[in-house]
Amino acid sequence: MATQKKDTPDNFLLLVYRFLSSYKLATVVLILMTLVTLFGTLGQVNHGLHAAKEKYFYSFLFTDKIGSIPIVLPGGLPLMFILFFNMVLGAIVKVRKRLKGLGLLISHIGMLLLLAGGFVTYAFATDGYMAMYPGMKTNRVESYRKWQLEIIKLTEENKAEKLFVYPSEALQSIKSNEQRSIPGNGLPFDIVINGYSSNAMPVPVSAPIAAGVQAKQIDGFKLAPQDKSKEAEQNLPGCYLEIQPTGDEKPIETILWAGSYKFDPGEKPMPFIFEVEGQKYGALLAKKSWTVPFEVQLDEFIFEQHPGMSMARNYESRVTRFEEGKSDTSLEIKMNEPMRYEGYTFFQESFGPAGSQPGDRMYSQFAVANNPADQWPLIALCITGAGLLVHFFMMLVGFVVKSFQSKSKPKTA
Amino acid sequence: MYSLMTKLLKPSCLLAGMLLLTLTSCIEDHSEAVLIEKDPNTAYPSFKIADSSTERFRYRSMANSAETSSSEGAAQQLVYDTPEGWTEQPASMMRVVTFRFGENDKGECYLARLPGAGGGLLANVNRWRGQMGAEPITEEEVNALPTKPLFGTEATYVTVDGSFSPGMGSTETYENYRLVGLILSSEAGAAFVKMTGPKELVEANIEEFDQFTSSLDVQTN
Repeated sequence: MATQKKDTPDNFLLLVYRFLSSYKLATVVLILMTLVTLFGTLGQVNHGLHAAKEKYFYSFLFTDKIGSIPIVLPGGLPLMFILFFNMVLGAIVKVRKRLKGLGLLISHIGMLLLLAGGFVTYAFATDGYMAMYPGMKTNRVESYRKWQLEIIKLTEENKAEKLFVYPSEALQSIKSNEQRSIPGNGLPFDIVINGYSSNAMPVPVSAPIAAGVQAKQIDGFKLAPQDKSKEAEQNLPGCYLEIQPTGDEKPIETILWAGSYKFDPGEKPMPFIFEVEGQKYGALLAKKSWTVPFEVQLDEFIFEQHPGMSMARNYESRVTRFEEGKSDTSLEIKMNEPMRYEGYTFFQESFGPAGSQPGDRMYSQFAVANNPADQWPLIALCITGAGLLVHFFMMLVGFVVKSFQSKSKPKTA
Repeated sequence: MYSLMTKLLKPSCLLAGMLLLTLTSCIEDHSEAVLIEKDPNTAYPSFKIADSSTERFRYRSMANSAETSSSEGAAQQLVYDTPEGWTEQPASMMRVVTFRFGENDKGECYLARLPGAGGGLLANVNRWRGQMGAEPITEEEVNALPTKPLFGTEATYVTVDGSFSPGMGSTETYENYRLVGLILSSEAGAAFVKMTGPKELVEANIEEFDQFTSSLDVQTN
């Protein structure tokens, strides 16, 4: 007579629940996370920090090689998702609730908060920079690495009247051999982008380097794609842009290059200027930017060098913060002493121009971070630590009580 | 061990399936993205209207060897010493300063600047080596090259001996030549100082090369 196993799941949901809450899954995920961490750490040498994070930790799958053997591994993001659900189901829901397990339960809650904080940072945190010379005031933060295409409708005085943006995510998805047509969205022309390169340099056709560049020549220049820099901030994208008027006017072609934007907070971007139907427009590869709900003015930048060396000993900024007509003066932003306000953190990051000496006119650059989960790792580690303390204390008490009981038990003959 | 592996095989396969499912549902298609109208608020920068692609691609200042314009509109002056026995030549779009020296002006030294990283350090070192008929070197070897100061920072110092083919339309090759150069590659721009000539002539002008490169500076008026 056939017998049925007792633990056979009688429905699909139960099977899924058992799988997601199993120790085996946790073991597999933790082994894979160890491998991903190892590859990600070693990958920074060849790819640089940002590219390594993108490839190994923010991806769903990645390929790499061990020697000459190619391997495919899941990225850190899906593994952390799975680990999160595995811990919720396995260590919180499924686990038998008893006083003895209280410490471990608290520890797991701390670890879950750490994983949740990682996701909130990934999904919602923004980081950019704000650079200014003394006397400048702004609320505009610029991205380090994200570039977008901007079409600007200009006034007679060459000021921006309307702004049309082709988002950075869409721009960066264009392949070097792809030609992408973008409708004008109310503008009297459509645009076509081709030959996009995430790091490029326009070279005059008279330069020796131009001889090896197989690209279209426009206005005495060719766009030469370059190898991506390990430091993603140094990549300067470029592309060919064709403006196709919807009326009878002829198409206009040009090269756009991120280097026309600005390298220094005092510079002004130089868009490609063109006219359609008598209206002046500009086209520009510009850094993605956003604003904070208050303005910051740099009052003074203090820069000191080690004697006899070009290495900075100290640099700090005195700023004034303006919000709704009110101002907070004499605020200091120093290395390791950021300014925190309304969820934004301003770190003293760097200074410029390169090669500046004390006494030169210099600009100060702040890293501006907005991370709702900024303090979550600290809280998570405190909770995890507290949980482990509770667990170890209870284990110790249990051990002492047990030892005491065994000693006090009367010996039998 | 075998038992442990078989136990882990099932969750691994199911995990792979989950990942594949998640991957296919999460790939974003940006090809249909359109221009988005945004408000150019007060923080939006004003523009400089460049009168040519040369200026827009930052080659304008390179042609004017003596003057460039800074961010604040202040004039910037490139200053340098002219070594004794060297004769300055007219500047071009690519070359900010050019000198000739030696018998029949066989020796040449110039300063060139390119916007951006200028193609990168490795590519430029190997381009120069290629002009001298030398084999390319690896990034590790480039990183191990010595440095010398240029514009207040350390630049990579390159020395190559061989048969010099200048390119730029010239099909001639000059035997027993030496190339000595400095490459500075940064986000703000790249600078190159390159000296070429017969080996003995270049050797005899190393001090002059150092004098010129160490004197290079940009002063704001």
